[in-house]
Amino acid sequence: MTPWLLLTPLVLPGLAAGALVAARRRSAALVAGLAWSLGAAEIGALFLLVAAAARHPLVWSAYLRADALSAWFLLTTALVFGLVLMYAASYMRHVPPERFASLPWFYALLFLFLGTIVGVYLAANLGLMWILMEGTTLASVLLVGFYNTERAVEAGWKYLIVCTVGLALGLFGTIAFYLAAVRGGIGSSSALDWSTLLQQAARLGQTPRLLELGWVFVAVGYGTKVGLAPMHSWLPDAHAEAPSPVSAMLSAALLNCALYALIRFHQITARALGSGYSHAILLTLGLLSVGVGALLMLVQRDLKRLFAYSSIEHMGIIATGLGLGGAWGVYGALFQVLNHALAKCLMFFAAGSVRERYRESRMDKIYGLGTAMPLTAGALVLGGVALAGLPPFGLFVSEFAILRQAFVTHAWVGLLLLALLSVVFAALVRHTQPMLGGRPATPPEGPRASRGGLLAMALCLALLLLFGLHLPACLERLLRGAVAVIRS
Amino acid sequence: MNTLAGIVAARLVGSAAVLLFVTVLAMAAARRLGTCILAYGFQSAVLAGLVFATGFLRHSATALAVGALVLGVKVVAIPWTLIFLARRLAVVPRLASRVAPLPSVFATVLLVFFSFAAVRGFASELHVTESLLAAAVALMLSGMWLMITHRLALMQVIGVLVLENGIFLAALATTFGMPLVIEAGVMFDLLVGVLLMGLLAFRIRDTFEHLDVSRLRRLRG
Repeated sequence: MTPWLLLTPLVLPGLAAGALVAARRRSAALVAGLAWSLGAAEIGALFLLVAAAARHPLVWSAYLRADALSAWFLLTTALVFGLVLMYAASYMRHVPPERFASLPWFYALLFLFLGTIVGVYLAANLGLMWILMEGTTLASVLLVGFYNTERAVEAGWKYLIVCTVGLALGLFGTIAFYLAAVRGGIGSSSALDWSTLLQQAARLGQTPRLLELGWVFVAVGYGTKVGLAPMHSWLPDAHAEAPSPVSAMLSAALLNCALYALIRFHQITARALGSGYSHAILLTLGLLSVGVGALLMLVQRDLKRLFAYSSIEHMGIIATGLGLGGAWGVYGALFQVLNHALAKCLMFFAAGSVRERYRESRMDKIYGLGTAMPLTAGALVLGGVALAGLPPFGLFVSEFAILRQAFVTHAWVGLLLLALLSVVFAALVRHTQPMLGGRPATPPEGPRASRGGLLAMALCLALLLLFGLHLPACLERLLRGAVAVIRS
Repeated sequence: MNTLAGIVAARLVGSAAVLLFVTVLAMAAARRLGTCILAYGFQSAVLAGLVFATGFLRHSATALAVGALVLGVKVVAIPWTLIFLARRLAVVPRLASRVAPLPSVFATVLLVFFSFAAVRGFASELHVTESLLAAAVALMLSGMWLMITHRLALMQVIGVLVLENGIFLAALATTFGMPLVIEAGVMFDLLVGVLLMGLLAFRIRDTFEHLDVSRLRRLRG
């Protein structure tokens, strides 16, 4: 049973991509139907895997492994992918056919993108994890540059080059870990296996300088992909220029995926060198990201760039939580992963609908949202409340947990975080409020938000509200399991 | 290991670092794109030779497979792709670097010295050949140097490739390479990455009508 559980969600996206490319000359209805049914099958397979891995770790051969931590991230990914498919079906209605830029290619690349992300979560081997992580860049670069405009091409190029160089540094760090393991007496066939490295962390601790070097390179390398400051330069461009469903995938699935890889290395480093070193680096990068994200949110002019900087800020909050450690810090960080993913799907969906209707995403040119598209405007406002970390949404609970941990162990971190979060709140109010009222010079002419898109937004909001009020028992159990994996 | 082949292999391991420094300096001094592509091919060939030689000295069959991969991907496929791209994109063969060749060579020499200084502590701690580890760091640094100083999109690709060669050498010098499956996967990513960069280079030329990445600055803030 185990091999099927692990292999199906990994292989299915590849097959789906192949089928979609093969059907690229058929009718749009067939392509959409294929994407929907294969997407539903993939999400089903992921849920089965999550349910099984939540109970006990699944292992297949030397290459695939899933435990509660992978399950938690996979659950988030499955939810995000479902929402993105739902939104994309109506959003990607009129795509001009171009090479690698038609609807079948869009879905095919989206499936490949998902497949590589799922692969990172299932990889038992740090080398394989790196290969698939680089695979996520390769699979998504054409999606980022999908519109083929000057800005999209520039964003795609920057994304590919910056992330490839960043991940190359991450590979160097991975090699340092491998070297430390081999020198510590672990056989070369299992010296990249993260569960082995974790069990035998003491052997890696024999070469502390090497491990410290490796961790710094990994933090910079994978940190580039997480979008942590100061390696975040690709992130706002890619998020703003990609089609909105892809922006949501980047922000809500890809960043978490890189973060997951970082957590695996963090665990090994912390156990080998004792807590302190890896925690301090995560805390520094995290706080820096919150600061950079919050301050740059104030001066944004483009709606999607605003939310891109908010992603940097939220990844910073998560890294801060992990860097603080402790039961509340880790709990808050992992819970924040799920909440942020849902909130960011909501915001990019809303921003995409606004951009379609107004044919514009410069915030100073958008007026009268409240009357022109009241439902989307409502989603935008409620999403802003959620993003700012206010009750009754899930982000409040997770950020509160992180703050609670901060005030117990490092009060100055808590104070700094609170100050920066109020800057974020100010930025969101300052940018959102003028768009709602007023009257546009010319009434917007683009298509209204579709029913599917609105449904996807409503689902995001409902889930955020549910998680804010009460986390269902099964999810709570899974989350506790994932926290236990990190803290054990 | 007193056979002739053994002596040749040992000599190659000993002199590989020098050959690699030559390729790095040649790239810094290059005035033409073709020179850089050639230097990259030669650099990869040195690495392939190094893999074969260490494989021979340590009686390792997997090293032969890795060497064949390096030969196929880095010596043949990637340089060929780069030449194809340069022709199809009708790149002007003369390179317009931000830094003139002479200062660039000078900076690269400094990078090489710095690499030796940087690895001194680690090389003795890990019992590895100091010159090879220094060459690895020098390749990584000079790859980044090429990326910073050149404006042409294809030169950025070459910079990434040189950086990756440095990382490959670091793994080879310290651990005799990672497991075969992993090396193969990394090489596959590299090849797909180069193809995608080529595709994007076409798009840059078609939308901007030039290939100067320093003039891609629509996205700010």
